[in-house]
Amino acid sequence: MKKVNNNFSSARRNFLRRQRKDKFFVGFWQIATLVIFLGLWELLAGVGAIDPFFFSCPSRIAVTIVDLAGSGNLFIHIWTSLYETLIGFLIATALGFIIAVLLWWSERLRKILEPYLIILNSLPKIALGPMIIFWVGSGSGATIVMCVLICVIITTISMLNAFIACDSDKILLMKSMHANKFQILFKLIIPNALPEFVSVLKINVGMSWVGTIMGEYLSSKAGLGYLINYGSQILKLDIVMASIVLLCVLAGGMYFLVAPLEKRYKKNG
Amino acid sequence: MKKLLELNNVKYFYQTKESEIEALSDVNFSLEERAFTSLVGPSGCGKTTILSLIAGLLVPSSGEILLDGQKIQKHDARIGYMFQRDHLFEWRTIWQNIILGLELQKKHKDEKKLEFAEELLKKYDLYAFKSKKPRQLSGGMRQRVALIRTLVLEPALLLLDEPFSALDFQTRLKVCDDVHEIIKREQKTALLVTHDISEAISMSDKVVILTKRPAKVKKEVLLNLSGATPLGRREDKEFGNYFELIWRELL
Ligand SMILES: Nc1ncnc2c1ncn2[C@@H]1O[C@H](COP(=O)(O)OP(=O)(O)O)[C@@H](O)[C@H]1O
Ligand SMILES: [Mg+2]
Repeated sequence: MKKVNNNFSSARRNFLRRQRKDKFFVGFWQIATLVIFLGLWELLAGVGAIDPFFFSCPSRIAVTIVDLAGSGNLFIHIWTSLYETLIGFLIATALGFIIAVLLWWSERLRKILEPYLIILNSLPKIALGPMIIFWVGSGSGATIVMCVLICVIITTISMLNAFIACDSDKILLMKSMHANKFQILFKLIIPNALPEFVSVLKINVGMSWVGTIMGEYLSSKAGLGYLINYGSQILKLDIVMASIVLLCVLAGGMYFLVAPLEKRYKKNG
Repeated sequence: MKKLLELNNVKYFYQTKESEIEALSDVNFSLEERAFTSLVGPSGCGKTTILSLIAGLLVPSSGEILLDGQKIQKHDARIGYMFQRDHLFEWRTIWQNIILGLELQKKHKDEKKLEFAEELLKKYDLYAFKSKKPRQLSGGMRQRVALIRTLVLEPALLLLDEPFSALDFQTRLKVCDDVHEIIKREQKTALLVTHDISEAISMSDKVVILTKRPAKVKKEVLLNLSGATPLGRREDKEFGNYFELIWRELL
């Protein structure tokens, strides 16, 4: 459908016009929702209907962000969290993928480890927090470990399920063409699970931020989680809110980096 | 004519947790070289099992399968297998799907084989779709791609497991004709499993009828119909009689 056809029928023209209108309408209200929300918030805080000390307000958040940026520490906090999240995300995704491949490879190993996977998956990882600090000390290391713990099990389980779900007739087809197990893995099982992998990436973006903030709450000297904790302890809720806003931007940004992959690979499924 | 494949007293049992399932009790038949043979029988009687045994994906519990007089081995390049569904890989282009077998057997750098693959694509009107993805093709075209994927490996014997059953009736008649033509032109020996009696009669030189599970050969029917294509053979006066004969055996 790459050819451009200029002789549209009127029905087609109408259809396209309606589509454009729809798109505009949705886009408009997406922005309007934000503007109205922020405006209302600012207004209610301004007239004293809500207490800005507890609820902050957009202008105070903006000022706080500028102040923090001026003091030079803001970027350290952002960078710390971003770095912990990215490293945690990458390690967890790679590790989970590799474990899933091993478990696919050996049905015996899979059967042996299955109950443990289920237990580990249902365990709230935050419970391991104190232990993590004993093992790796406080700071970025502990945060990354928390991040990995939160993402790795679910990555393993999702990928393993995707690997196993591969049509057994497709495997038979590969065997009928004399494929060995490596070839079945690399030419069928893994590419076949690519759409699922993209889903896992998307989930892991969210989960790794959960891990990072939890890790930083637990013990840290920098990061947005640290900033939130710090702000609440000195009763500067503006700092808390400002950090949350920044978190939204970063997590959202990372999500939108991964999302286009989905468009590309989901169609194949 | 020379016998390409012989099954002698082949038995097969499936082992499951609950029980032992006798799938084949005593199967004996043979395939003449370059002949088209169909295998019909009640559903679940063991037809797919027979193909898997011939393809070396399973090993007989007893009895022997001879290809060209020798016991069949795993990974015999002389045998090609075509499944009920095309199983094209959606992430690969048509061309990449077609050379999948060559790739698996590390022959994808062999110029001669690649040329042959291109030739097949051209001959069977798929060349224009070479770099398209499978989802852009119709069901009939996909099935032809699946056949070419098998033919590229130049097997002497083609095993076809209900390859048309997923297609709608119109497409099916057309694809039957296409596949029949391709197989005859490339001078292959073919064994077709089908549950459609008229399909079996229109395509084959011989129909092997199986009993219900555990399968034995109930009867072999040699066909002698005029007409160059399956569609043409359906016009033959004898067609109805053969149908009647086979249908009665399957009751
Ligand atoms: N992997 C298996 N394990 C146990 N039983 C099987 C297996 N595959 C097939 N069977 C059984 O063997 C019989 C023959 O199966 P199959 O050869 O697929 O039949 P057909 O192709 O004629 O429909 C069926 O009753 C089926 O239930
Ligand atoms: Mg079957």
